[in-house]
Amino acid sequence: MDNTLITILLSAGILLVIAVLMALILGWANIAFHVPTDPKVAAVNEILPGANCGGCGFVGCSEYAEAVANGKAAATLCGPGGQDAANRIAETLGLDLGQTWPFKAVVHCSAKREQRLKQTPYFGEQSCAAANLVPGIQGCVYGCLGYGDCQDVCEYGAIDMVDGLAIIDVDKCTGCRACEKACPRGIITMIPFKTEEVLVVTCSNKDKGVLVKDVCTVGCIGCSACTKPADGLIEMVNDLPVVNYDKDSSGIDLHKSIEKCPRESLMFIGLHKDKKKAQGEPERIEANFATTVDQTEWRG
Amino acid sequence: MDTIVSLFLIFIGAALINNFVLHYFVGICPFIGVSRRVDLAFGMGCAVTFVIGIAATLSWTLTFYILRPEAPLSAWLWNSMGADPTTVVDLSILSYIAYIFVIASSVQFVEMYVKKFFPSLHRSFGVFLPLISTNCAILFACLEIMKNLQGGDQLWGLHHALALSLGGGVGFTIAIVIMAGLREELELCDVPKALKGPGIALLVAGILAMAFMGFTGVDRGVADAIRTLTQH
Amino acid sequence: MASSSPSPAERFIAGILPENPIYRQLLGMCPTLAVTNSLKPALTMAAATAFVLLCANISISLIRPLLKPHLRILIFTLTIATFVTIADRVLAAYLYEMSKQLGPYVPLIIVNCIIISRCEACSSKQPLPHAVADAVGMGIGFALALSSLAFVRELLGMGSLFGYQVLPSSWPNWGILVLPPGAFLTLGVLLGAVNAWTARRKARVQSN
Repeated sequence: MDNTLITILLSAGILLVIAVLMALILGWANIAFHVPTDPKVAAVNEILPGANCGGCGFVGCSEYAEAVANGKAAATLCGPGGQDAANRIAETLGLDLGQTWPFKAVVHCSAKREQRLKQTPYFGEQSCAAANLVPGIQGCVYGCLGYGDCQDVCEYGAIDMVDGLAIIDVDKCTGCRACEKACPRGIITMIPFKTEEVLVVTCSNKDKGVLVKDVCTVGCIGCSACTKPADGLIEMVNDLPVVNYDKDSSGIDLHKSIEKCPRESLMFIGLHKDKKKAQGEPERIEANFATTVDQTEWRG
Repeated sequence: MDTIVSLFLIFIGAALINNFVLHYFVGICPFIGVSRRVDLAFGMGCAVTFVIGIAATLSWTLTFYILRPEAPLSAWLWNSMGADPTTVVDLSILSYIAYIFVIASSVQFVEMYVKKFFPSLHRSFGVFLPLISTNCAILFACLEIMKNLQGGDQLWGLHHALALSLGGGVGFTIAIVIMAGLREELELCDVPKALKGPGIALLVAGILAMAFMGFTGVDRGVADAIRTLTQH
Repeated sequence: MASSSPSPAERFIAGILPENPIYRQLLGMCPTLAVTNSLKPALTMAAATAFVLLCANISISLIRPLLKPHLRILIFTLTIATFVTIADRVLAAYLYEMSKQLGPYVPLIIVNCIIISRCEACSSKQPLPHAVADAVGMGIGFALALSSLAFVRELLGMGSLFGYQVLPSSWPNWGILVLPPGAFLTLGVLLGAVNAWTARRKARVQSN
């Protein structure tokens, strides 16, 4: 036989033999090493976004999928997946969800840098974790330091440092809790947004009013003026108001509580700020000189 | 004695002097991608070393008996099919395809095995295994072995092949773990925005490569030392 | 990319700079660092990779209906291995010196992340014209990146371009650039430069 032909036949033959051998070995291994996996776990894993952010409290999306499929975790813990993922998981597993709300991060401080008193110049590492170790860096030992550890760790661009205060855009927040873990003072917490606007206490200073006035121009002085219009929704704990988010807030006008507050310790934080602006705010009334001038009848 | 010395030199050569990552530039993608945390990097390094050993064994066997010029099995088939007896059978054209077959299958097999018998191990570095099958380092080790089986004298035995591949794996692990440690430190540094991430990682890798260049000539020095010692 | 898949022309342009495989996607670093000592091997390697990328994209695009999900990576790799064998033998036959210089890096095109990721992301899902445009664009982008790196390394490291002495002999050759560390350092600096330039362009576009 011709050499070329033999080479071709030999090549094809050897490759075929290797392929068949590998196929047999892998086929055997597939059965011999089979680990029974729950198809439900795979189905839930498909639904999850796969970001492995850890916001649900599990190490990765596959861990959470396993926990949910085995009924060991609620279906609503995925922040980035949101309500959509929770609904689809419930549908896949045949669960009844009940009412769920998105949990978003809020900062419990409203003092911008010029409103904080007794600050000392700091030239160390520009990080909240480092600055927190310096005694006397600012008067208030509870409030925001403003060096942006939370902003650095947010992968969704939801946090902005404005005048040394962290401002969270709740529309961009996915509830992954990275900022909650990053804040060394622990003043970022997750709040359920049951309505479009939620009342948030924007102060974390647990000291008495006279001491607060020394360290901050806008911190809570514990006067309890906000608790009366709130009809039991707000309680004073440690000289600080605490909002009970589990209670039904319909019928209570919390704007009054904000009005009663002599400082800036209560605030409404809302979803879809832009939509609200487009719908709610009154338009600026422009003076129309034509109507006031031209239609006046001159009486000579 | 000579074999042991040559094995040692091959091992050290692959691990330190001609480090797979810092001298031959293979396995850069996981080097830049997976080297953010020391424990993950170590897991990746171990996985690579393990797979490279298996792949080297299989590809050496394949090359020695079938693919190299005048390989025993192919020569027997060649002659029995009535080919011209003066020509030499050389199936090394099939090498690349065969190596890919072998590497992909062995990685798949290892993944299934680890998943079944070492589930905790699978949890920690099982996710790297599919990544490894397209890792340059493994194919590079197979190619180096093929280079030394091309013909004539001094054909490499299985022990040489294993020394090279395990040395390469160990070198990869050393490089990636050092890199991970450096990058963990870099997290606290003020890196210019344009260089953040891969940019600064490459610059640091360059300096690390310069450091590893200091190992040049170590093999010759060690070989000379052993030779003078064993002469007495 | 956009949710509606881009047209072939858009893919072609995207591969050159906006989604440059080396500077933006950071794939295929192994040959980038290894063969860019000087311009000739760099361009040869870029040509070989472009050839393999084009052929692989065309083949995968044509056998799209036959791809099974759990076997697709193996199929990609085997197809690429076949074309790399062809490219390697052609190089050895017609450009033997260059083939010796490139050494083991030509077969390493098989595991070049660029080709596998283009097959996975584009040609296994798109019809032929898209696949071809994508391959040509990425190939040109890859060639640009390789030659930019090789240009710097050869000019400053050896004072020559394409083997011809360009800088005067008084230039002290920056030997480190043609050694392995120089590859890392040059790529890092060039990457930083491209990032800075892109950021500046984006800022200018936003402020307008």
